[in-house]
Amino acid sequence: MNPFLTLIAKLFRDVRWSLLFSAATLFALGWLFVYVTSLNESKIRKALAAAPGKGGGFGWMRSMGMGEQPSSAAIIVGFWSHPMIILVVAVWAIGRGTSAVGSEIERGTLDLVLSRPISRSSYLTAQIVASLSGLFLIALSLAAGAAIAVRYNVLGSPPGFGQLVRPALNLAVLGLPIYAYTLLFSTLDHVRWRPTMLGSMLTLAGFIARVIAVIPVFKDMSWRPWVDQASIFRLYDPVDAVTGREHFGFNVAVLIGLSAACITVSHLVFATRDLPANG
Amino acid sequence: MEAAELIATENLSKAYGSFFALRQLSLGVRQGEVYGLLGPNGSGKTTTIRLLLGMLRASEGRATIAGFDCWRQSLQVRRLVSYLPGELRMTGSMSGLGMLKYLSGLRDEESLDRAAAIAERVMKLDLRRRVRKYSTGMKQKLALSQAFADPVDVLILDEPTSALDPSARADVLGLIREARSQGQTIIFSGHVLSEIEAVCDRVAILRLGRLVHIEDMHVRRRLRMLLIRFAGDPPATFPEELELTLRERRGPALLLEHRGSLGPLLSWLSTAAVEDLAIGAEDLHSLYNRYHGPDVVENEVVVS
Repeated sequence: MNPFLTLIAKLFRDVRWSLLFSAATLFALGWLFVYVTSLNESKIRKALAAAPGKGGGFGWMRSMGMGEQPSSAAIIVGFWSHPMIILVVAVWAIGRGTSAVGSEIERGTLDLVLSRPISRSSYLTAQIVASLSGLFLIALSLAAGAAIAVRYNVLGSPPGFGQLVRPALNLAVLGLPIYAYTLLFSTLDHVRWRPTMLGSMLTLAGFIARVIAVIPVFKDMSWRPWVDQASIFRLYDPVDAVTGREHFGFNVAVLIGLSAACITVSHLVFATRDLPANG
Repeated sequence: MEAAELIATENLSKAYGSFFALRQLSLGVRQGEVYGLLGPNGSGKTTTIRLLLGMLRASEGRATIAGFDCWRQSLQVRRLVSYLPGELRMTGSMSGLGMLKYLSGLRDEESLDRAAAIAERVMKLDLRRRVRKYSTGMKQKLALSQAFADPVDVLILDEPTSALDPSARADVLGLIREARSQGQTIIFSGHVLSEIEAVCDRVAILRLGRLVHIEDMHVRRRLRMLLIRFAGDPPATFPEELELTLRERRGPALLLEHRGSLGPLLSWLSTAAVEDLAIGAEDLHSLYNRYHGPDVVENEVVVS
């Protein structure tokens, strides 16, 4: 095994339990939301059956298309904006970003690695590859949980795994800039707590901005579009990813672009900075 | 003929703002030499080592190993170097063998078998145990096993015996001698003067980030200290061929440093009006105290 692969293998070994825990959590949530969707749909179907004809008490549902073509996939992935799902991805991204450099210096374990013939660029690339692979695995485990649950629950139009992969990719790509800016903070620092704090604050601020932007009371406020534009969370739209796909390509491109910029700067910073002894 | 210089620094300096951790360091380490770095904490030893490994960027000057610039060609430098950090930290979840596999895997050349052999036979480590269950000294032994197993030209050891028991210290000194006999060049930074004295060919003494003295230990091992009390007034000068240097005047007695051969000295002593005579060796501690002892003025600049 060459040094780069040795480093990747070591990084996966280090994160295996947190990766397993995060993936299992999202797998379970994926399953749960399919189950909830199935229950809701069965209630709606019963209500529609009890009120035949467009003039019935539940005719509004049929007029919205729910009677004829209920998009189970859209309902399922509608739940994927749940804060719990975003939290798991954000925690993984911040945790991995911050541990790349800052916490390695703090622990004093970077010396032993970088005294070996590993370039700083290879070291950082290995960190990025391992972390992003984990990020995509976690996001895909959400789709996997949902896809398997579909087999065991009754749905109006059961989605295939392929349909669920796109919103899962959107979720993973949402984690990219969170990882990337935390990585940038980490490459600038020599402790763990500061990049963790900055990464968390920035992520939380973005999330709060998104929440404020979608509150109906603020709909007509002049500052609302600015607040909305400032948040990366507006670029995560799982329902759009599975149905219209009007913005999916654009959202993914912007999130990847932001991440690439932060990762490039991280490489430049890490290649030229001093590496002090631990702490 | 003297061996070529494998490691060289020219006016190497490292500043943090207005504070100089290292100032204008110029030294050369010859191939196959064990070179000691001596000085108290904060004297610039670890900064020098980190500059050599390309972990720090020099504020002024440059350092090279085998002609490679330590900052710009750091990767090529680290292919030639194995390093033992002074403050050693390892991932605790790995077994001893796992850690050796990992460290040897970070170098293209295979060194695992040799590292495991040193760890088990010389260092007496149980490689199946998790690293977190190792004591500090055992971790140091593990890292030393890897450092001595690496097929490299240069070993940089930062306080390699700081956490070791006396028998392990002796083993490490033995491994250093063996490495030298195989042509490896070693930089040995430490505080235990007797160890440095035992294995080093030359020693650089640092103080407040400056190089203040370089001692050739082969010359030093031939050096004698003479305490002579003369019957009358002590002579003001000595014949040049005796290679005597006056170190201290104590009334009618003189403390002299002798580097020459013994024959001419004994002939001269037999003719001089010597009342009492003591001959001994000077250990490294005395030399060290010249630059770091209680009488040294804090900001005095000592010319090497």
